Amino acid sequence: MSAADKIIEMSNELRWRLGNEFHDEITEGIYADAHEIVAETVTTDSRKGRNAADIAIDKIVTSKIWGFPIMFLILAIVLWITIIGANYPSSWLASLLLDTIHPALKDGANYLNFPWWLSGFLIDGVYLALAWVISVMLPPMAIFFPLFTLLEDFGYLPRVAFNLDYLFKKAGAHGKQALTMSMGFGCNAAGVVATRIIDSPRERLIAIITNNFSLCNGRWPTQILIATIFIGAIVPSVFSGVAAVAAVIGIAVLGMGFMFFSSWALSKTLLKGEVSTFNLELPPYRPPRFWKTLYTSLIDRTLIVLWRAIVFAAPAGAVIWLISNIDIDGYSIAYWMIHALDGFGWLLGLNGVILVAYIVAIPANEIVIPTILMLTVLVTGIHAGEGAGVMFELGSASETGELLSAGGWTLLTAINLMLFSLLHNPCSTTIYTIYKETKSFKWTTVATLMPVFMGFVVTFLVAQLWRIFFQ
Amino acid sequence: MESKNLKSACESCPQYNPNGLKKLGVDVEKYDFVVALAGNPNTGKSTVFNALTGLRQHTGNWPGKTVTRAEGGFQYNDQKYKLVDLPGTYSLLSTSEDEEVARNFILFGKPDVTVIVVDAGRLERNLNLVIQILEITNKAVVCLNLMDEAKRNHIEINTRALAKRLGVPVVAASARFNEGIPELINVVSEVANGTIVCKPHRIKNVPKHIDEAVKKLSEALKKQFPTLPNSRWIAFRLLEGDQRVLEALRTEEFNPS
Amino acid sequence: MNLSNPIQNLLLFAALALFLYLFFRPVNGWYWIIKNNLNSNRKVVIEDLLKQLYTSENAGTLITTNDLTLRLKYKNHQIIEVLQEMALTELIVLAGDQIQLTPLGREYAVKIVRVHRLWEKYLAEKTGFDKSEWHHRAEDMEHRLDHEATNELAVKLGNPIFDPHGDPIPSELGNMAEITGSSMVNLPVNTLGKIVHIEDEPDVIYKQILAENIHIGSQIRIVENTNKRVVFYSEGEEFILAPIVAANLTVEPLDAASILEEDAVRLSSLQQNEMAEILGISKECRGESRRRLLDLGFVRGTPIQIDLVSPLSDTKAYLVKGSSIALRTDQAAKVLIKKLG
Repeated sequence: MSAADKIIEMSNELRWRLGNEFHDEITEGIYADAHEIVAETVTTDSRKGRNAADIAIDKIVTSKIWGFPIMFLILAIVLWITIIGANYPSSWLASLLLDTIHPALKDGANYLNFPWWLSGFLIDGVYLALAWVISVMLPPMAIFFPLFTLLEDFGYLPRVAFNLDYLFKKAGAHGKQALTMSMGFGCNAAGVVATRIIDSPRERLIAIITNNFSLCNGRWPTQILIATIFIGAIVPSVFSGVAAVAAVIGIAVLGMGFMFFSSWALSKTLLKGEVSTFNLELPPYRPPRFWKTLYTSLIDRTLIVLWRAIVFAAPAGAVIWLISNIDIDGYSIAYWMIHALDGFGWLLGLNGVILVAYIVAIPANEIVIPTILMLTVLVTGIHAGEGAGVMFELGSASETGELLSAGGWTLLTAINLMLFSLLHNPCSTTIYTIYKETKSFKWTTVATLMPVFMGFVVTFLVAQLWRIFFQ
Repeated sequence: MESKNLKSACESCPQYNPNGLKKLGVDVEKYDFVVALAGNPNTGKSTVFNALTGLRQHTGNWPGKTVTRAEGGFQYNDQKYKLVDLPGTYSLLSTSEDEEVARNFILFGKPDVTVIVVDAGRLERNLNLVIQILEITNKAVVCLNLMDEAKRNHIEINTRALAKRLGVPVVAASARFNEGIPELINVVSEVANGTIVCKPHRIKNVPKHIDEAVKKLSEALKKQFPTLPNSRWIAFRLLEGDQRVLEALRTEEFNPS
Repeated sequence: MNLSNPIQNLLLFAALALFLYLFFRPVNGWYWIIKNNLNSNRKVVIEDLLKQLYTSENAGTLITTNDLTLRLKYKNHQIIEVLQEMALTELIVLAGDQIQLTPLGREYAVKIVRVHRLWEKYLAEKTGFDKSEWHHRAEDMEHRLDHEATNELAVKLGNPIFDPHGDPIPSELGNMAEITGSSMVNLPVNTLGKIVHIEDEPDVIYKQILAENIHIGSQIRIVENTNKRVVFYSEGEEFILAPIVAANLTVEPLDAASILEEDAVRLSSLQQNEMAEILGISKECRGESRRRLLDLGFVRGTPIQIDLVSPLSDTKAYLVKGSSIALRTDQAAKVLIKKLG
């Protein structure tokens, strides 16, 4: 037996004799030392004590009366600033990237005598997808994340987690999930990264897997557009705006419902063996350093997420262009795919175009609507847009509505598209982020397939009930 | 109990040389010293890291922002330092992944200096970690961060007495406002170069039966590995059944190479 | 298949959902039943019989083939066949109707018990499974872990002496720590003691004990003990149990000298503006959660008070060593405090 083995043997023997309390006793011993040292070196002014302002703020933001109203007010303000504020730069970026630079690039390619397939592939495919993602995604994120980060740095967000913890506890989750979820309203990938603040393994996995139920900013425009066209149309025109907004909010709230439900189900089934250690420290308030926060949140969150989205969107643009332009037996690949999926799509109250769009637009939800429009033109032969494989959007909602109706859309298609936009697999940026955060193939698969499966079930049920009662 | 000739941060008045500092970001190919940055979550560890390296890791007001190990560097008086930001932990005694990373780096990575960032407003809880680290390494500096906040809450700390009690230099700082960072760099370089010799505090309040067991084990360890500076800590870990330490023992990793 | 009729589609869907439910529902799902049947090979039956014999022998009762057929879920002919095989391999001696373990059989049985209890310890320390699940998971695992894996597990857990219910875990050589103490129903009124063991079988009674939130390691004082009910005080609360439930709690009487804190109450009972001092963390709080609480400063002698109460009440933030740390009620119930006047 080697000397090392002898020492190990000895430690086993001693451990047996020391019993179960060893860890507790060591920690108590260390704290006893710490206590002595503090007693000798620290003086606290007992008359003044903790900063009175901090205590007062805490009492208000966690009070029974004011706690929730303040929370909702702040969330509403943040969302309002994001949506309103993002409108202008978004349309500005869109007109620059899509309406100015895109034609200019095409002209340049013509001038340089690019073959049609090369300019189509590069400019209509890759460039257009990137342009779309940037113009839709960048402005809201550049506003939402800094605002969120300011609240975080100030120390308010842990209080939100504290206020809401009971609800999340009921669902087997952690109060901090309220924040990763809110972050998901900005971007699911960022929401998944944010789950690092949850230090309990089980609750962190729950937060990662269910983050996709937060409607991210790539999906808000889809919801708003479809709701405006179809939901707004079924009520008197005075109320159409209100009805559309209510429908979108309804979908977002439904998403939270699904989030709670699947958190609960996961904690009772797949994840019940994972270790759960709840604790939540409420840090002191710190006045944020405005410009620094702005800078780091732009660099850390916005640009990183944008970069990832770009990396994934570029090949998607290429694929979209290719499937629309490569013909087999006289029809494009997209045409064949749409036909193959039409039956299944119909069963779900959707159609082949929507399913194909969701398959090729996995990388970014932002390009779903442009892809749907382009594919609708492709299969119906209506004269609109700029040709096969060139994604586009129409100037007004009513034009879009006409095109979609011509594509066979009904109110059921619209409702189910809104549901499916909420309940489908995360975008590939998010999937990749989930893999990076969990380092587990298994949990990435669960997080990817669970929502899309739920989407199939929900849209299927809605479609059948709709056909029984309304047709 | 601590030796009289110990130089604490304040006694060895910082002859700080501001022109000698160069923030190197992540550009740390060749370096003279490795500095580990440890501390509780949410003590501004990442802020200190950023202040030293000129990098800009995001630092939220949250426990547990830094999950992976971040590295950066700085140059001071023509010596290059590699700075390793360890995950923030409350302790080094448990089995969570973060604690294993931090513990194993300080124990096996043998940094030249370990800077322990401490929340001045919550000193007692932070000392839990400080005291554990001082069991592992002789070369440590305590950075008493968030002094501004402590003042706001009417907490005053006698840094001189604290340094004496802990046996390592203590630097008061408010890293958010860059206060105390120059002094910190100076003290780190002095500890790295051996100008300041630490004589760190060792855990006193160990129950008698544990103390006996630890003594027995640590003597056996010293006999086998005469150069081991932290046999007592290794003994604690063996009694906890730390797999990594057991493995190191089997593979003779504790022998001087 | 024509799927254009929505009613037919819904019926198909319902049928599929029902089938999946019947197949995969917990415990009684067909999938599990089939899986269990495939697993219940001879080895499993032998081991279950050995364990049953071992427990009865320890309880001092003799056991017959008839008892075994009543207690185990296997078919009668299977039990009889296996018993004969065990007699041949000298694990048991059949003396008429009675069955006795041979030393070899006893050794084997102790090994099974070791795996079972170690696995329960593992589940308690290293996983998040609920207490109510430990037993049946260990029942399954005890047949699957071989000798080496068991020893590895024991090392990984630091060679524990007791399982989470307070049962001693046999060492590799079969040595076991002794439990002193007696069943709660046998103790006279006014006994001071400590709960050292909670029996996890039968399941119904164990679930009742769990529902009462009774903790192992808690100090108790018995105030009433009749054949109708057993009443005791523990950690500032009163517990009333039916004797059949109390019989499953083992209590070690304490002499007056070793009574630490009779006025210990649970942190969950602390009110706003009350001051208290932490006495310790209950044995019920295990593994990572226990360590985390210790690290955060929940150690003996630390002053504690409520800082904030969440609007939804269940979660409260406590001021400990200068930090505000939020815990949920079920966690706070596992921290013992002494209120300061």
